[in-house]
Amino acid sequence: MRKRILPLLILALLLTGCGSQGARQSLIPEENRLVVYTSHKEEVYQPIIREFEERTGIWVELVTGGSNELLDRLEQEQEAPRADVMFGGGVESLESCRELFEPVRCTDYRRIPASLRDAQDAWVPFSALPVVLIYNTKLVDPAGLTGWEDLTGPKFRGEIAFADPTKSASSFTAVATVLQACGEETALALARNLAGEQLDSSGQVLTQVAGGEKLVGITLEETALQRIAAGDNLALVYPREGTSCVPDGTAVLKNAPHRDNALEFLDFTLSRAVQEMLGSRFYRRSVREDVGDSDTLPGLDRLKLTDYDTLWVSRNRGDILQKWAEAVKEGAA
Amino acid sequence: MKFRNHSFRKRLFAAMLLSSLLPLLICTALMVQITRLRMQNKAREDLAGQSAGLCQSLDILRDAVVHSAARLTDSETAIHALGSGVGSRLQINSLLFDATDSWRNLAVFDLYDSAGVCRYSTRGTVSQNLPTDWGVLYGAAQAGGEPVYYATENPADTASALLLAGVQLRAEDGCTGYLVMRLYAAGFHVLLDGKYVQSDVLVLNKFFRPVYGSQTNLTQALAPRLRETMLRGELPEDGNYVYYIANHPATGLNLVLRQPQMFTARTVWLLYTAGILCVLACICVSALVSLPLSRQIAAPLEKLMGAFDRVQQDKLETQIPVDRQDEFGQLAERFNQMVHALSINRQELITNQQELNQAQIRMLQAQLNPHFLCNTLDTMKWISKINKVPQVAMMATNLADILRFCISADEFVPLYRELEILERYIEIQKIRLSDDFSFRQYIPEELYDCLVPKMILQPIVENAILHGIDGISGSTIEIRAWEEGGSLKITVTDNGHGFPEDMLGQPYRRDEGLAKGHLGLYNVDMILRRNFGESCGLWLSPGDGGVGARVTATLPIRLEEETEC
Repeated sequence: MRKRILPLLILALLLTGCGSQGARQSLIPEENRLVVYTSHKEEVYQPIIREFEERTGIWVELVTGGSNELLDRLEQEQEAPRADVMFGGGVESLESCRELFEPVRCTDYRRIPASLRDAQDAWVPFSALPVVLIYNTKLVDPAGLTGWEDLTGPKFRGEIAFADPTKSASSFTAVATVLQACGEETALALARNLAGEQLDSSGQVLTQVAGGEKLVGITLEETALQRIAAGDNLALVYPREGTSCVPDGTAVLKNAPHRDNALEFLDFTLSRAVQEMLGSRFYRRSVREDVGDSDTLPGLDRLKLTDYDTLWVSRNRGDILQKWAEAVKEGAA
Repeated sequence: MKFRNHSFRKRLFAAMLLSSLLPLLICTALMVQITRLRMQNKAREDLAGQSAGLCQSLDILRDAVVHSAARLTDSETAIHALGSGVGSRLQINSLLFDATDSWRNLAVFDLYDSAGVCRYSTRGTVSQNLPTDWGVLYGAAQAGGEPVYYATENPADTASALLLAGVQLRAEDGCTGYLVMRLYAAGFHVLLDGKYVQSDVLVLNKFFRPVYGSQTNLTQALAPRLRETMLRGELPEDGNYVYYIANHPATGLNLVLRQPQMFTARTVWLLYTAGILCVLACICVSALVSLPLSRQIAAPLEKLMGAFDRVQQDKLETQIPVDRQDEFGQLAERFNQMVHALSINRQELITNQQELNQAQIRMLQAQLNPHFLCNTLDTMKWISKINKVPQVAMMATNLADILRFCISADEFVPLYRELEILERYIEIQKIRLSDDFSFRQYIPEELYDCLVPKMILQPIVENAILHGIDGISGSTIEIRAWEEGGSLKITVTDNGHGFPEDMLGQPYRRDEGLAKGHLGLYNVDMILRRNFGESCGLWLSPGDGGVGARVTATLPIRLEEETEC
């Protein structure tokens, strides 16, 4: 047998070439690395990550995706986490996976209002995102649209662009907001007024209203302002009954391979420089008390905010969604 | 083990195939690999040379920023004007133009005050303000007088600057402003074009973010991939390009050069295909060569096998034509000789058998008639007795006894029977020769039972009577027997004429016996030798004192019991 194997081995060696060429270049040392899972849009995370790299010399490895997708992945990798930081995702989503995260307190936590923070610091907020109403400026008289109650009227029956709350996290936040601002009755009346029509993604809400297919829509302030700045026929209304200002957040994973760098990143996202840029570049509201709303945003004091109970919402998510879905079905009939 | 079970032809073919294929395969593989490695190394060396030139060009970037900044800092007017915001525009602008004279073909230079407001620019329109807590100005402030280099966020947008190099201008009392160099795609063209041939250049920042690519898709597609491989700690490697990465330490930028692989996977595939075609050709050639050769070996073998088959079927006339002189020719020749010898052998055997058969037939015939003779002789005996002719009666009686003895079926008889018959014969001869000789016998009694072939003594004695003592009166014939070395010796001695000289001693020969007319002696000798082998037979010698003749018969001692067994 040996006699037969030897020539085969030689041949194999020849055919596969002579192995690797030269030594590998010096690798990036582990202490200079950070793995970030982010559900933010590229125009949001790109400048932040880059600036972080330039300032710290840390190489950031990014994994992008939808927040639910990334959280699922984090759950699967729980035993041996690859990621250090989950950057993005509404705090309700983060709240539902809070056991994955290591409670950490960022350096500037005193500058952040307690209403926006988690009591145990499982996550830290990144930016505040109020739910707003939008309308097509050419088709709707702004006098007739001041709050949630107006949407329940026959005028807007079937004319409301709203994304399916089971598919869109921001839509679910909107549902929860109406529930807490006006009570269950108004919320269900609103659901029935959709006439059974719900959109697949929150992006479609703006497109449909801007295109005139629907008259009004419910979405986040950030996206609405971006589209307005881009010149669409849109205007936004802060509901008079009150709205929520649920932040999205950042969290450090338990057993993160690069924990120190993760903490540094966490601090960086809450630094003045980043928080100030949120308003000026992304139409997002800073979560820092000492960062004033930029010129692009109406002052937060102009908004009536309801007490939004994140814990209650995330605990009753299933119930809320079921009731909503039933009401929507009713409205279709 | 299995290999040996195949026919010789197949093995020969396989061996030839292997011995021609293996070197070819090894050779092809070696050539392909050596050429591939050689070309890859050459490409790397080439790229290393080019990248050295490109790095020198990048040095200019640093020189531009550092030297311009130094000249501006040296000028108190400029520093003061930036710090206080007051001063002659013309004067500051001319200072700026002066300081950046050598490099304005490359880039746009902007002067920012400490708040990040762009005050002066070498370009027609003043650039937008920059935040001091973000990006290049923040970096420059942190670096404290050392230039920093920031890549554009969107390298695809060639209308904006691809690289911002910022340096803080410092007076004694701290920061007064910043000098920012904006490098556009055109600047990179001026800087790098002509420094590389047959390759693509990609400029990356410290963290492998794209800055500039000699082709637009490089920054879009290649740069993220390079960054990924970098993060994985691998070297960029694909079948189509050779990569060379150099770090430019002065600016922290990374230069990536790539050159199409001369030896792409397709080329390797092509070469291996050519190799395989060669192998196929090789198989054909070796088949063409080995088939006739193996036929040359197999054909004579098959012929030989056929010949053996025919021999087995008893065709002994089989011969193989010998048409060559090599080992196979010799083999065929030997075979022919062997078959020839076999056929001669068989012929002899057949002849012997035929002779034996004839002898048996003759004996049977000989046995048939004598009965009637015996009866006749008996009649003769009675007639002569009636007529009172006692001699005729005795002769007839003796002759009848001898005849009966002769035609008995027994081949071997005890010695005493032989002696009895011999006495009958002597009696007849005595009547014939008028009792002219004496006959004596000296036989020990223990030898009486020895078996001897029938009628061997009578011819010897007859020979002595007819030739030995003929015409000699008072002659004697003696017969003796004894045992010697396990053999029975019987001598018949006379005191007659003796044998002629030339007959003495020699064992009896067929032709000689016939020639001299001693048919009796010959026959006895023949019977003895045929029965007991060549060590037995007759021996002729002169009698005692050279008188007369002596015939000695030698035969093995056998007793009656043994034969019956």
